[in-house]
Amino acid sequence: MALSTGIELAIDGLARGLSFALLGAAITLVFGLGNVLNLALGSFAVIAVVVAVTVGGAVGSVAVGAVAGLVVVAVLGLVVDRTLLSSVYRSEGEERIVLGIFVTLGLAIALDGIMFVYVPLTYSLAHGVPGVELAGIGIRGSTLLTFAVAIPVLVGLFGFLDRTQLGTATRTVVHDETGALLCGVNPRRIRTIIFVVSLVLAGIAGLLRAASSDVTVSAGFELTVFAIIVAIVGGVRDLRGTVLAGFGLGLVITAANFIVGAYLANVLLFAVAVAVLIARPEEIS
Amino acid sequence: MITRGDVTRIGALALLLLPLPLLVTAGGGTYQLRIVSLFLVFATLTVALNVAFAHTDQLFLFLGALAGIGTYTTALIADAAGISAWATLPLGALAAGALGATVSYVAARRGMTVIVLAILTLSLQLAAVETFVGAREVTGGSTGFPFDGLSVAPLAAAVGIDERILFTYVLLGVLLTSLVGYAWLRNSRWGAAFDAVRQDPVAAEAAGIDVVRTKVFAGALAAGTVGVVGPLYAQAERYVLPSMFEFQAIDVLVLVMLVLGGSRTLLGPVVGAGAIVLLDEFLGEIGQWRTAALGVLLVVLFLYFRQGIVPKARALYDGYRSDGAASDVSPDG
Repeated sequence: MALSTGIELAIDGLARGLSFALLGAAITLVFGLGNVLNLALGSFAVIAVVVAVTVGGAVGSVAVGAVAGLVVVAVLGLVVDRTLLSSVYRSEGEERIVLGIFVTLGLAIALDGIMFVYVPLTYSLAHGVPGVELAGIGIRGSTLLTFAVAIPVLVGLFGFLDRTQLGTATRTVVHDETGALLCGVNPRRIRTIIFVVSLVLAGIAGLLRAASSDVTVSAGFELTVFAIIVAIVGGVRDLRGTVLAGFGLGLVITAANFIVGAYLANVLLFAVAVAVLIARPEEIS
Repeated sequence: MITRGDVTRIGALALLLLPLPLLVTAGGGTYQLRIVSLFLVFATLTVALNVAFAHTDQLFLFLGALAGIGTYTTALIADAAGISAWATLPLGALAAGALGATVSYVAARRGMTVIVLAILTLSLQLAAVETFVGAREVTGGSTGFPFDGLSVAPLAAAVGIDERILFTYVLLGVLLTSLVGYAWLRNSRWGAAFDAVRQDPVAAEAAGIDVVRTKVFAGALAAGTVGVVGPLYAQAERYVLPSMFEFQAIDVLVLVMLVLGGSRTLLGPVVGAGAIVLLDEFLGEIGQWRTAALGVLLVVLFLYFRQGIVPKARALYDGYRSDGAASDVSPDG
């Protein structure tokens, strides 16, 4: 393998890792706050893509379309949080975890089912960012776009959690819900905000994916599974670990795709998840 | 020992289902016969999930993978060795059962919670289907291969009835066998151990119950059953396709059937499977909405109807009989 190929793979892997980090963070934030493992995450990412392509095509601007996609996903997230998740949050402990899985799984299947009827095509974003070539190393436009979008978003996410009052309140609820309650923090309100934020993150990851390849409705569940694996490997309540795991897995799967092909690369990803679950089962509880 | 109530229930169900294959084919309808076959296949799968999930809290989300492993083991070994798939069917069951036992063992030893086992088995499920599609040389990839290894044609010719009808009776026999086994199991020491382990593993351990052994037994039994049903399902469809064993094609349906019919009941899985298969038929005209309807059903069931049809019906019946007074806890339906 030529050195330039290796560098190109590494750059692709990092871009993929950034997408993984966004997805994993979306799972980790919601699970850490409220013990709900959002199995519908990927479906919302696909909704963002479909709305972005449709609106973008209608008004002739990809950027406007992308914003519209994220807004629609945020509004849907608010509705889901106030209705379905309110019912889930009423139960406690393991009961809530199990209920969360099934309700979001049902939601994912329902959303995918509706989309199969109305938007059964493939969707991609014509972002128009040109690729560049530096010293014999080619970088695709979609990769550049991923770096340009995902890095500020992740930096912004950490800035929000570390430096704003709302972010501090969020971390307080993750660490100690009762303590947060005593300090006058309303956990339910924080959960609503963070759920909406998590869907916007997933929406961004979906849009970035649509910038580099075609997205179909069936990609939704795949994105969800990637997100969960990243979150598990990173430590499902540990946002920094999740982001790092996203980078690591992005590099690993890109290299594996190149060396052993797509099927085995995916099997490898699942094997990593299984190994981590066996090694650290106490992490998710 | 099987309770007299359960003998009556299984007997009544057998009487109800025995004429079904003949009735639906009276007008020559092989399509209806396929629906009956699907119902019998999924009812048996639901009985298996009932043991693993409802009785011992092991949320197996890899029934599709287990069915696929049972099917590919049965079909591929029969093909390679040049022997009948009936002879390799036990190997398929063994392979699936061994995987189920291993997963249960690791999960119990590592103290995995419901959700960890759920994600673990879901990962195995997705990896399995990925492998079924990817191993093109042996599985035929996503286009699959025709399968007729479990044909009952010689016997059908000897008895003088249609082969497809006879095979439906094989499926019915498997369902009834699984129900008899389940009725025996829940009234045995194992059933008591299941209850103890589910309600309080620590107390169960203190009472001298081997929690790991109990869970491994339940997991192996459920997985082995799925490993038998998989190849029979393939025979009913006359084809082996990776997409038959997908998470959305098997696990989601079986989960809905179990919760709808009623967990930890004898007839709940049969009622749930029947209801969903029938619903699917009614949705036939608006078939494109099938997936969406299943998803909505899953949400509604888990939020508002986790009790299930059979326990609900029993509660109504008991309430009617005792006129609203507190009735004795009757054995499960």
